[in-house]
Amino acid sequence: MLRLVGLWLALLFPAWSAPAVAASDAYLQELMTQADAGNLAGSRQWRALLHYRDNMIFPGVTGQADDPRFYLAADGKTDPRAELDATLAAFFAPPIVETDTAQHPQCRFIARYHWLNEVLRFDTARLPPQPCQRFSAWRAALNASALTLVFPSAYINNPSSMFGHTLLRVDAADQDERTRLLGYAINYAVEPGDDNGALFILKSLVGAYPGTFSLSPYYVKVKEYSDMENRDIWEYRLNFTQQEIDRLLMHAWELGPTRFDYYFFDENCAYHLLSLFEVARPSLELTSRFRGWVIPVDTVRSLAEQAGILAEAVYRPAGNTRLRERLARLDAAERQAVDRLLEEVTPDAALQEVPAERQAPVLEAAYALLRYEDGAGRRGHAEAARLSRHLLLARSRLAGGEDHPVTPAVPAPRPDQGHPTRRLALSAGHDAGRDFQSLAFRPAYNDLLDPSGGYSEGAQINFMDVTVRHEQGRGRLTLEKLTLVDIYSLAPRDGFFKPVSWKINTGIARTRLKDDERVAVYRTNGGAGLALGSWERAVVYGFVEATLDVGGELEDNYALGIGPSAGVFLHPAPAWKLNLSARWQAYHLGDRHHEREISLEQSVSLNRRHALRFTLSGGRERNLEFTTANLAWHWYF
Amino acid sequence: MKNKLIIAALITLSPIGVAMAAPNNVGCGVGTIIFEGQTGVAPQVLAVTTNGTLGNQTFGITSGTLGCAEDGVVANPVKVSMFLDTNLDKLAYDMAVGQGETLESLANLIGVDSAHKAAFFAATKANFAEIISSEQANTQDVIAGLNRVLAQNGELAQYARLV
Repeated sequence: MLRLVGLWLALLFPAWSAPAVAASDAYLQELMTQADAGNLAGSRQWRALLHYRDNMIFPGVTGQADDPRFYLAADGKTDPRAELDATLAAFFAPPIVETDTAQHPQCRFIARYHWLNEVLRFDTARLPPQPCQRFSAWRAALNASALTLVFPSAYINNPSSMFGHTLLRVDAADQDERTRLLGYAINYAVEPGDDNGALFILKSLVGAYPGTFSLSPYYVKVKEYSDMENRDIWEYRLNFTQQEIDRLLMHAWELGPTRFDYYFFDENCAYHLLSLFEVARPSLELTSRFRGWVIPVDTVRSLAEQAGILAEAVYRPAGNTRLRERLARLDAAERQAVDRLLEEVTPDAALQEVPAERQAPVLEAAYALLRYEDGAGRRGHAEAARLSRHLLLARSRLAGGEDHPVTPAVPAPRPDQGHPTRRLALSAGHDAGRDFQSLAFRPAYNDLLDPSGGYSEGAQINFMDVTVRHEQGRGRLTLEKLTLVDIYSLAPRDGFFKPVSWKINTGIARTRLKDDERVAVYRTNGGAGLALGSWERAVVYGFVEATLDVGGELEDNYALGIGPSAGVFLHPAPAWKLNLSARWQAYHLGDRHHEREISLEQSVSLNRRHALRFTLSGGRERNLEFTTANLAWHWYF
Repeated sequence: MKNKLIIAALITLSPIGVAMAAPNNVGCGVGTIIFEGQTGVAPQVLAVTTNGTLGNQTFGITSGTLGCAEDGVVANPVKVSMFLDTNLDKLAYDMAVGQGETLESLANLIGVDSAHKAAFFAATKANFAEIISSEQANTQDVIAGLNRVLAQNGELAQYARLV
């Protein structure tokens, strides 16, 4: 082994003089022996620093970095010990002048260096420490004194952030809660270029995107998430010691240019951030809890549940959330004044009827609404810009600050206190004359009737939802349903906001072909619609939807239908939700037939981990009348 | 030689250098016109892909000196202008109101002493028309306006050269 390292060194640094090599070789050998005796290569810290994970089937480990430069030994990706030896050897490299592209290995791998130095106590005479000026300047500029895990909540309209996202904010010593914008965000992300949502998901399932860690001012991230995508942000301030923070930053430095192929479900942003925390505090066991898929909110939960780690959670409402709050605080006359201001009536005239102490909030709301309408493309830019300045100028002439602070109520529970995203369901029911029992598993994520709290209302995302059923009088289990993706965005409109609701789902479903015979088809269904109301009371909705069924037992092997659907969603009590809906589909192409169905779904959540769901439905499919009833117990874990 | 190069690079990056080298240094603090582009809250749109929209303000951690950043941290000479580039409309709002997170952050970036903060907020509110001199004002205009206002204010004159 040693000979290999020597050879490697000789290849790398041919100009190194022979006696120096001999002297440092001796010390290197000493260090390797020490490292071996302490089994450093098998330690948790080495494992965390090199991102080794146990192999799925075969014994041994594999490093997750997909960048040959991250592992110094030729077989370093799979051999922690060889990697440790090669790392030690690299530390003996002769001093170099740091440039934008070149660093000494002690600086390039500064977290490894520091940890090994802590354990092995390097003799500085025989292994001289390097100055690492670039790293020092970087660390001084960050001036880190705290770490904050940032969770922009899920954004259903962008597939790459459907499940939410996490990033890490480095808070500087000279900042406080009023100047958090100036912190830096460490973000693991990919650059999908122009690839659209669906292509992005497909490619990221197979790791086709190289992901890297990057740094940006936090205000850039706030603009992106809070202002442009309208996602409420949660900032979880974490309790880490200064030493742990330094360790994490050193490791972030090492990861700087390192590529980790991005996988949508498992090796994603949330997973990689957890691995940073494991380096900061090796006793934390975070990534090993996640096998197969990692949902950002689950990682927030897993961290928040660690004793003593969560200092406080700060809610940063999105631009829209604040705008809604501003408008909600105005009475009818004040809203009218807002409208008049936006119709370019001069501030003096528009505010005539408004009492002096209410003029400021009216101007502020008008400005916020104007910016929204401009962003929505409902106004000419030039006109909106002129009016924006006008409104602010008028506001600047009114005394007083925002002494009516627009702080929307902090949603409770927080995202980390919502239901876990995995769901197992056991149910029993009656379908067209037969009793049945079924078992369902949904790895992710949330549907409209799941326990409320912690999730965006009206945003349903089910992934890989599978149901098997056993029917009375039939021996075997059958696949009842396999939904690959099911996204449903129900967004109520009001006087100011006019979103379109939409849905799309695809997977294996069953259709009634003959009496007592339900056959499997591959179904894709989607639609667009409008919703009105509020989640506290009732949301009424109507859709136009289309369905394509494909299956060998259908006439012409397919059926294409279109038709309306409508319903009402009620939330009578915090733990009780109800959805009454009716749907009609006329299949004009392929296997021609009609389908109509009325259903009532109700859910009662017992707590954030358990819920009951009762479904009643009836209708007609290909001239076959049917009624079904189903009672299910849902366990979230 | 290397030092001279660095100095040259910093001058090019500084607001003065940038103003001369404009207009293709977008992202370092010259590009944005207030109230223009995607400044306000956006509506709910299907499949917006914003990943990378603000890519010119996202930096590699050990990417060396690159544009506005050094190893991922915004270079000192462009700190204020880059902040303004991203936050002009929010800053204008805070100035008009006389307080707020964006204005607090600007005060921190300039290094306004906590004893002078109230005066700083009052001055930017009272001189809103001068600082946001037109609806076409860009980052450089706002910096120039802010400098003029600070320079004329006895207590705050010391901060004028820092913006």
